[in-house]
Amino acid sequence: MGKPSGAKPSRPGPVLIPEGELSSMSEDSTLVARALKGDRKAFEMIVRKYEQPLTNYLGRMTGEREAALDFTQEVFIKVYCSLGSYRPAYKFSTWLFKIASNHLIDHWRKKKLPTLSLDQPVDEDERSLTPQVPDPGPSVARKFELAEIRQKIERALESIPEAFRELFVLRHVNEFSYEEIADIKSLPVGTVKNRVFQAKEMLRRRMEGS
Amino acid sequence: MRDCRNAESFYLYLEGELGPAERHGLEAHLEACPACREALAERRLLHEAFISLPPFEVPPDFALSVMDRIPEAADGKAGWFAPLASGLAALVVGLMGFYILTGESLSDVLVAVSRSFSSGFGRLLPLFAKLLKIGALLLDVASGFVTMLGKGLAIFLSSLGPDGIGLILGLGLLLSLLLFLGAKRLLSLGEKT
Repeated sequence: MGKPSGAKPSRPGPVLIPEGELSSMSEDSTLVARALKGDRKAFEMIVRKYEQPLTNYLGRMTGEREAALDFTQEVFIKVYCSLGSYRPAYKFSTWLFKIASNHLIDHWRKKKLPTLSLDQPVDEDERSLTPQVPDPGPSVARKFELAEIRQKIERALESIPEAFRELFVLRHVNEFSYEEIADIKSLPVGTVKNRVFQAKEMLRRRMEGS
Repeated sequence: MRDCRNAESFYLYLEGELGPAERHGLEAHLEACPACREALAERRLLHEAFISLPPFEVPPDFALSVMDRIPEAADGKAGWFAPLASGLAALVVGLMGFYILTGESLSDVLVAVSRSFSSGFGRLLPLFAKLLKIGALLLDVASGFVTMLGKGLAIFLSSLGPDGIGLILGLGLLLSLLLFLGAKRLLSLGEKT
């Protein structure tokens, strides 16, 4: 996964520096090759590497930790059974999240959850949420403010349409680059950028209303 | 003068996604526009919150519980050797058990086993022959049906004329293309990075 600027290096998940990206790709390919030869330990290493980012993604998409853990298990089993179709020329994390995304879509289709149109216009209302931000430094007050905003974001995330929420989560929780998200979702990069932006503005407006 | 309501560029700026020209343009505008500075400060706070959402807790034994559910069959290690070895072991255990229970010698056991096999095979032979006959009959019926279908199709096509045939071929091609694209989408699990 590419690491966008401004992301914190201490966050969990496969946060990779650009120089190490190639070596991580080859490490993943090696683990997959070993798993295909029957080395279960190699697949366990893959599970350990991706269990946290996958649970973060599925957790934010389902809103429930237990459901997220169940989904994560199911995705790993699906991945294990499909390892033969993985091509090392492609990035493993992108392939993994594509399977996870398709798994979620299948689940929603089976449950027939109501989804909102992607063409839903974003309100032009640009009123300020917190007009006074005098000190951008990491003061205690600011930390409290951030913690409160994070809680509001968690609540607001559940109320925005899945298609927008998913792109937001892939970008800001899983730290994929816009290009990687475009690969995972088979969408043009411009569309991904615009929908991530729309998701953020939806969150901002819902937080204003809460 | 840039559009003050373009909030998307604020987020892209905070993510370092703007090119040098766009970045400099925005920075120059911010110096002159207090409203945009305020809007950017708001987005900066939100952006910091977006990128620092807490992770979901994963149990320490989660990977092991996943591995417990991984099917053994996909292991690929066992191959043909394990079933063969277990089959032979079962045969040996069976023969030994027979010898211990009945007191018959191993050669007697082998003779008895071969007799029971040959008598069982003799009884099954007519059944195999009947099954083969039924299979041949079904094949005959299927070939007749296919021939009839071919003739019907030929008559139908000859009654259509060149325009009709062209239309049907076009529809067939379109349907095949749609099926191909659908299957590709269904199976496309690896996308290029």
